[in-house]
Amino acid sequence: MCQRIYHRHPIFCILPPYILSKISQNGTPEQRADALKTLATDSTMRALRLAQIPARLPSVPSRGIPMEGNKQRTIFDVQNTFDLPGDIIRKEGEPLCGDPAADEAYEALGRTFDFYWQVYERNSIDDEGIPLRASVHFGKNYNNAFWDGLAMVFGDGDGDLFNRFTISLDVIGHELTHGVIGDEARLQYFYQSGALNESIADIFGSLVKQYSLKQSAEEADWLIGAGLFTAKINGVALRSLNAPGTAFDDPLLGKDPQPAHMKNFVRTFEDNGGVHINSGIPNHAFYLAATYLGGYAWEKAGRIWYEALRDRQVRSNSGFLRFAKITLRNAMRLYGSSSVEVKAVGEAWREVGVKISYLLPPA
Amino acid sequence: MHIELKTEGGFAAIPALNKSRTINTEDLPEHEAVELKQLLNTTHFFALPKRVSKLPPGAADYRQYKITIEDKGKKHTVYLTDVLDNPPLRRLLDFLKAKMA
Repeated sequence: MCQRIYHRHPIFCILPPYILSKISQNGTPEQRADALKTLATDSTMRALRLAQIPARLPSVPSRGIPMEGNKQRTIFDVQNTFDLPGDIIRKEGEPLCGDPAADEAYEALGRTFDFYWQVYERNSIDDEGIPLRASVHFGKNYNNAFWDGLAMVFGDGDGDLFNRFTISLDVIGHELTHGVIGDEARLQYFYQSGALNESIADIFGSLVKQYSLKQSAEEADWLIGAGLFTAKINGVALRSLNAPGTAFDDPLLGKDPQPAHMKNFVRTFEDNGGVHINSGIPNHAFYLAATYLGGYAWEKAGRIWYEALRDRQVRSNSGFLRFAKITLRNAMRLYGSSSVEVKAVGEAWREVGVKISYLLPPA
Repeated sequence: MHIELKTEGGFAAIPALNKSRTINTEDLPEHEAVELKQLLNTTHFFALPKRVSKLPPGAADYRQYKITIEDKGKKHTVYLTDVLDNPPLRRLLDFLKAKMA
């Protein structure tokens, strides 16, 4: 019983309460006193036990039973080759290794993990604590960063037009979010579903940065890849959620090609049907919803979009309209049909030309 | 022989940087033309599938390269990414990237 001092697992008592109750009513005075003492202790133990049960199931044991919310980061150095993943340069818990790209990737992975865990209780990319991996120094003068399906890969930039791709937190947030999307909605990387995929990666990439800086929607710059361009380039960032099409205008790069409205949707075969171009439209819808509501964008607009991403109604070939309806439905579920949140989401999509309608409840 | 290389996509997908570039082997110095033809032979280019990449469906922001080669009436296009399991094709891509930078 629980009263033994050297009991190995005092939490897991043998006698259930109903037996102790009977003893406390019907036993000898000593037995009744003992039973009452045990019942009192037992209630405390039961309460403690309940408090220890995690809200979600623990992580899958095959990966070594990591505690929930614990990061397991590994950074690899590809050493300017194309042979992934490269050699380990920094592991979880190790101090700065002195390689700026590796240390930036390590730090940014941590902040992105923390964002998803602290804001949405998402335990890593797959919500089961999967380790986070990034490879740096991929290729030579490589002007790109990508998600290879399991890990992030970063180039160093050519130093002429682009800096190294680990330099912006939102880049890492964007790439990790592709992993989240692959785990949840699995949006196909073509045409509208691909542009939606890209948009969600930009949105949460931006939110990671905003959360890190504790910026409200009004304070945020809503830029993706600010810091990627060298001083030579006439541009503030790669993309802008608050003003798609204005992020850069440069003799070498041309003008930012993103539309902000469906009437300017770009029909092309390139870039998998313009996934990095037409993402401007849903990006802008999110910006509008977030600024309409004000405050921290990850709390309401971000929550609505996150819940929509996880909604089973999203199919791998879902386009803007279907996803817009799902965001609206989730806003209704979370905040009520006549809430300001629902109004913000509906207005936002309509303002970018995605014509969702909703029936307002009777006054 | 007429070779076209076009880069598409990527996190920093910028149309102006992704213009199509072409070379004719007749315009190349002799040793480069020979090198290129050798590279092509080792890749068995005209027998390659339309898409060559080790990336799974969930991948994103990868650069795609479209190589089109036209030679004596034969024409073939191959799409590839930087994640390859094909050393001869890697060498061909590196050669073309360097030549058309």
